[in-house]
This record gives sequence, structure tokens and C-alpha cells, in this order.
Amino acid sequence: MLELQHIYKTMRGAAGDVWPLADDLSLSVQAGQTVAILGASGSGKSTLLKIIAGLEPQDAGHVLFDGHDLAATPTHQRGFALMFQDFALFPHLNVLDNVAFGLVEQGLSKPQARQQAHNLLAVFGLDKQAAQKVWTLSGGEQQRVALARALITQPRLLLLDEPFSALDADLRSQLRREFSERIAASGIATVLVTHDLQEARAMASRGWKLDAGRLTALW
Amino acid sequence: MALFAHYQRSAALRRCALAAVPLLFLACLCVAPMLRLLAEGSAGGAGVSNTGAQSGGYSSSGFIALWQDSYLRGRLVWSLLQAAASCAMVLVLGLPVAWVLARFDFAGRSVVLRLLMLPFVMPALVASLGVLALWGPQGLAMQFFGLDLQDTPWLLVYGNVFFNLCLLVRAGVDGLGQVSSSQLAAARTLGASPWRAFWRIEWPTVRPWLVSSLCLVFLYCFSGFGIALILGGQRYATLEVEIYTLVAHELKLAEAGMLAVVTMAITGAAALLYTLRESRLATPARGDALALRRPSTTLERGMVALALGILLLCCASPMLAIALRVLLAGPGAWAVLLQEDTAAALWNTLRFSGMAVCLASVLGLAHALAAQRSALVRWAALLPFVVSPITVAFGLLLLYPQWSASLPLLVAAYTLLAYPLVTQSITSALGAIPANLHRAAHTLGASPWRCFWRVTFPLILPALRRGMAFAAASALGEFAVSLFLARPEWTTLTTLIYQRLGRPGANSLNEALVLACLLVLLALAAFLALEYRPAPAARTCTPQRARPTHA
Repeated sequence: MLELQHIYKTMRGAAGDVWPLADDLSLSVQAGQTVAILGASGSGKSTLLKIIAGLEPQDAGHVLFDGHDLAATPTHQRGFALMFQDFALFPHLNVLDNVAFGLVEQGLSKPQARQQAHNLLAVFGLDKQAAQKVWTLSGGEQQRVALARALITQPRLLLLDEPFSALDADLRSQLRREFSERIAASGIATVLVTHDLQEARAMASRGWKLDAGRLTALW
Repeated sequence: MALFAHYQRSAALRRCALAAVPLLFLACLCVAPMLRLLAEGSAGGAGVSNTGAQSGGYSSSGFIALWQDSYLRGRLVWSLLQAAASCAMVLVLGLPVAWVLARFDFAGRSVVLRLLMLPFVMPALVASLGVLALWGPQGLAMQFFGLDLQDTPWLLVYGNVFFNLCLLVRAGVDGLGQVSSSQLAAARTLGASPWRAFWRIEWPTVRPWLVSSLCLVFLYCFSGFGIALILGGQRYATLEVEIYTLVAHELKLAEAGMLAVVTMAITGAAALLYTLRESRLATPARGDALALRRPSTTLERGMVALALGILLLCCASPMLAIALRVLLAGPGAWAVLLQEDTAAALWNTLRFSGMAVCLASVLGLAHALAAQRSALVRWAALLPFVVSPITVAFGLLLLYPQWSASLPLLVAAYTLLAYPLVTQSITSALGAIPANLHRAAHTLGASPWRCFWRVTFPLILPALRRGMAFAAASALGEFAVSLFLARPEWTTLTTLIYQRLGRPGANSLNEALVLACLLVLLALAAFLALEYRPAPAARTCTPQRARPTHA
């Protein structure tokens, strides 16, 4: 279970002005639960995900997982997966090696990692594109590759940063359904960051609004 | 939080360790010789008396005396004038060519754009020979039209245009690619004619690119040595040639020192202006760039023909002239390829260049990685561009006289002039890697070292190879440093060509042209390495760039 305890984070602007992104912020996400965090651009939603992932330090407070404080655990040892708004697929690798990336880092041999990646790509309907470079794929295909890459390592927590914002409306609703089913099937706790209320309601069992560094329960 | 502080400290330490080697190298090979030159220049007459050479009457207020010397003042004014005239010619000829290449799609356009890279890897000495083969006393223009530009200022200006036109054209094409099609359409709907739309929309957009490249053109024209030495001769000698003459032939080190200081001040100002302008150009490519169109009217086809004609006359014809002269020269001149000193020069060129490229790659990579978070370290890599090869060689000669004919110093000087090219190339590639790729790798379990090895390094590899190709081209064509620091038995292809040019007779010129062809072949190999792209790995993967098909 993920717990955020009294997180503080401020941001300093170019003019020297300071505003809070997290102001005594606390949140818990149960195993298998999907929680959505909504907020306007610049409200600190993505920063909150980076704090959870260990990519950015908080000013104060604690991030705990299953009761353990993660302060001394670097990003690559946390066992979380973060899916970025721009997918962040590795352009020098093909689809198969993108998906297998995390398994190799977990110590699997390349052939084993590739075999597992191939199996998962088949589930996602992308096995025919396995040898293609990722930048030759359509937006929806890239999105699926990004999710497959995130899920294959069986992360303890899935962090989704505006995952559908770059897609058109039809594709967004189609993938939203598909992603919800796959995430539910994997049973992984998920934090979804979005500014789309409809998307948040469709995917998350609980919703929070982040405004001026504080969370307000929406449902 | 303690974890982040630890990581930040480790990263800072890694950067310091990486920066130490290239910065120490720069300090010893570039900064210290510059300071030595400053001391030599400031010492004026005192420095002269120490060396025991003829001073020509310069006192401690040597710079004023230098300005009062009408001959040296004339060299300075001429150096500035020919650089300024070359800039003006390059702008007038290059802007229309850039506009045509940026707006029209015609057969061979991509080939022309690729060939525009050729002068970047063309040794200056070869370029000079090409100009001589076309416009010199034994040139094709003399044979067919009775036109000889030797002993006129136009030969040097033409050489500068040949060498720098492509630089401006490429910058112009990049700049015009930033013009917004919607802004241009808005201007047209508001009543602007195509000409007015150009001046009010396109010109302000492309101007920063042109100014930036003109700073470089000025820098190259002002501080170029090979072209000025061959095409200007003693009558139209620039400051660089004058420094060489004072050191190598007249042993007037104090005067040469003062001239070198003046040169450094002017090139430093041009380089500073370039740096300031260039930093403003780092804007992302526009999404609404104008689409290329086929030339449809007679006027448009005429414009394409004119642009290609300018490129043919100014850039291609000297190379074609060399090829033609070599073909007509006959076996007597080709026999030079079988001579022992040619083989020795080829071997020297390859081994000096090879050693320099290896060192430049290591230093360039370390410098680029260290410079990621520090603008100061990044700017330090530009220092060797500020000082001309002649100034570097002269400074090294003064500072390390005991090693003046040693292999390590020669290779180090080659490396100094080549490694910023590697740094520049890798720095650009590093800046183009989206930060999220590293974050994604970390969240997928990659440690910082694994992240570098599996993500950063593969992405900068094409840039490293490109930088190495530029470095190789630079080292292959190196001339000034070889003239100053090499032993007689270390003749390179460039110095061998220069020796042949110094001998009387048409056959010597033909032999020089054949040797120039050999050097061009080596430069072309570097050019192919530069343009060879097995996979566009540096591409970023974003939804906007993906194929627009639905899943």
C-alpha cells in the first residue's frame, strides 16, 4: 500500500516568487486500487508522481510503501513504473527491446527478456510490430507499447501521467477502456494524473482534486 | 532527501572528474600559450631584445607603434576589409540560394543539400588550389577567356566565398525552415505582396541565423591561413600570413606576438558575438513550417536555375577545375603518387590524424558530458575556435620551445583544433535527448551507470561519429600547425603540396593538384562517414512525430 504522509513541496518561479505544489499533503492508495488526481496545468500533479517515483525530492514528509519509508530507496530500486505523457519510448530500440528493457535491468538474460516481451506484445496485439522502431508506430500503438513496458516488470505501483492527453478523442476513449481492463486484471495499485474528469471517473475508484497544494476528495 | 543530496554530490563529483582532463588540456595547450603570446606582445621591444632578433624599433607602447607602422596598419585594415567584403558577397549570393532551397522541391535538391556539407570537410589548401586551377595564371579561365585574377584582391575574396558560401546557405535553409506558414498566410491576406511578406515575415525570422553564420564567416575569413597564404600571397597578405612570415622567415617574434594579440582580440570579439547569437537559435522546429512546392512558373524555374548556377560557379567549379587539370596533366604528374616522399607524407598525415582523432574523441566526449550542467565549461570548448591555428602554433612554439619538434606536442596541437568539433556535436545530441527517457529508464530499474550505457550512449553515438568525422577532416587538412611544429621528415600531404607549389614550373603545379586530389579523397572518406546514418537513433519518440494512423 502506498502512503504519502505530510508531503511539502514548493516551487520557485523565475521572478523569485514561491508557490506550494504540496502543502501538508497526505494520501493512501490500497493494493489493486486506482486513484485519480485531477488538477489544472501547473498545479503539481506530475511533480507529485515524480516525488512518488523518487525522481524529485520533497521538501518535507514521507513516502511509504507497505509501511517502509522510501527515503533511502533510489528510483531504480523502488519497483514502480511511471508512464509518461509523451510515452518516453527509447528511439534507438525496437518495440521488443523497449518492452524487454526493464526485465534486462531485473537481471534476466536478453533472450529470456525478449521471449517474455514477445508474449506480452502478443496479448497487446503488437507482436507483428515487434521488430519495428517505435517512432514508426501510430500514437495508439506507442501508447500500448508504453503500457506493456510498464506492466511487464510487474511493478508494485503504476504511475500514469496524463497517459491519453496526446491522443485524439476516439482513440482516447477506446484505449481508456482497454487500459482499465488490463490494469484491473494485473491487480496493480495505480495513481492516475489527469485534467480530464471523464477519464478519471472512467478509470479510478477514487478521485482527488489537487489545488494550491491540497487534496480535496471528489468521489 | 538525503538520498537526493547524495546523488547530486556523486553526479557533481563525476562531472568534475570528467571536466578535469579536457580543462587541464585546454589550460596547457590553449590558455597558457595565449597568455604567453600576450606577454610577448605586451613586452614589445623588451621581448625583442631578449630574443636578440631585429625589432624594427618597437618600444613598450608597441601597439601604438604597430598602428603607426603604415605597412602593418595596411595588413590589419586589409585583413578586416577582405573579411567584411567576403561576408557581404556570401550574404548577397547565399541568401537567394538558401531561399530557393528552402522553398522549392526540384530534382536533385537533397543531393545539393548534402553536397553543401563538402566545404566543411574540404582542406583549405585544396580549396586554394581549386581557385588557382580556375582563376590563377595557369588556370582554366586564363586558357579560355584570358582572365587571370592572380595578384588581385579578388582571388582571395573568391576563395573565401567558395569556402564559406555553403555555411551561410545551410544556416539560411535552417532559418527559413522556421518561418511560420500561418504568419505568412496572414500577412498575404492582409495585403502584403510576396516581396513585402518576405521583408516583413521571412527576413526577421531568418536574420538571427544569418547574423550567427556571418560571425563564423568573418571569423574564418579573418583568421584563415591556408587560403590567405596561397591566394593572397605577400601582396595581399592578411595578419595570419604576416605572423607566419615574421616568425618563420624574419624571426621578429615580438612583432608577431603583438599581431597575434590583435588577431586574438578581433577573433575573440567575433566568437563572442557568435556565441551570444547562436544561443538564441535553440528553438524547436516549427510545426507549421512551409511545405516545399515544385517550381511551376518560368520565373520560379529561373530562380532555381540561378541558385544552382551560383552554387556551380562559386562552389563546384574550383573542384571541377582541379579534376580537369589533373586529368589533363598526364602520367608525368601522376607519377608523384608513386614517389617515396608522397608515401611518407600520406603515412604521416594518416598517423597524425588518427592519433588526433582518437584523443579528440575521448576529450570531446568527456568535455561534452561534463558541460551538461555548466555553461562555463560548455563555452570553454569554444576557446580553440577563438585562436587561429597560426596563433596556437606560435604560442606553443614560444611556451614550449624544448618540445617544438616533438611528436606529442604536434599531435596535441592537432587534437586541440579538432576536439571542440566532437564536443559541439555531442553537446547538441545530449541537449536533444528528452529528460523523460532517463526518468523512464530509472523507473524501469536502470541505475545511473546503466542508464548512461543503455540509453544515453546509444543516442549520442551518431553524434560522436559525426564529430569524429569532422575532427578527422580537420586533422587531415591541418596545415598551419604542421608548418610550425613538424620536423622536416614529418612532411604531411598539406605541407608536401605547399612545397610543390613553391617549386617553379607547370609540372610542380600539376603534381600539387594530383596530391590535392589524394587529400580530397581522404576528406571525402570523412565526408561519407559524416553523412552515413545507419539508423536515425537520435530521433525522439513523441506522438506528434509518429505515423498518423490509428491503432
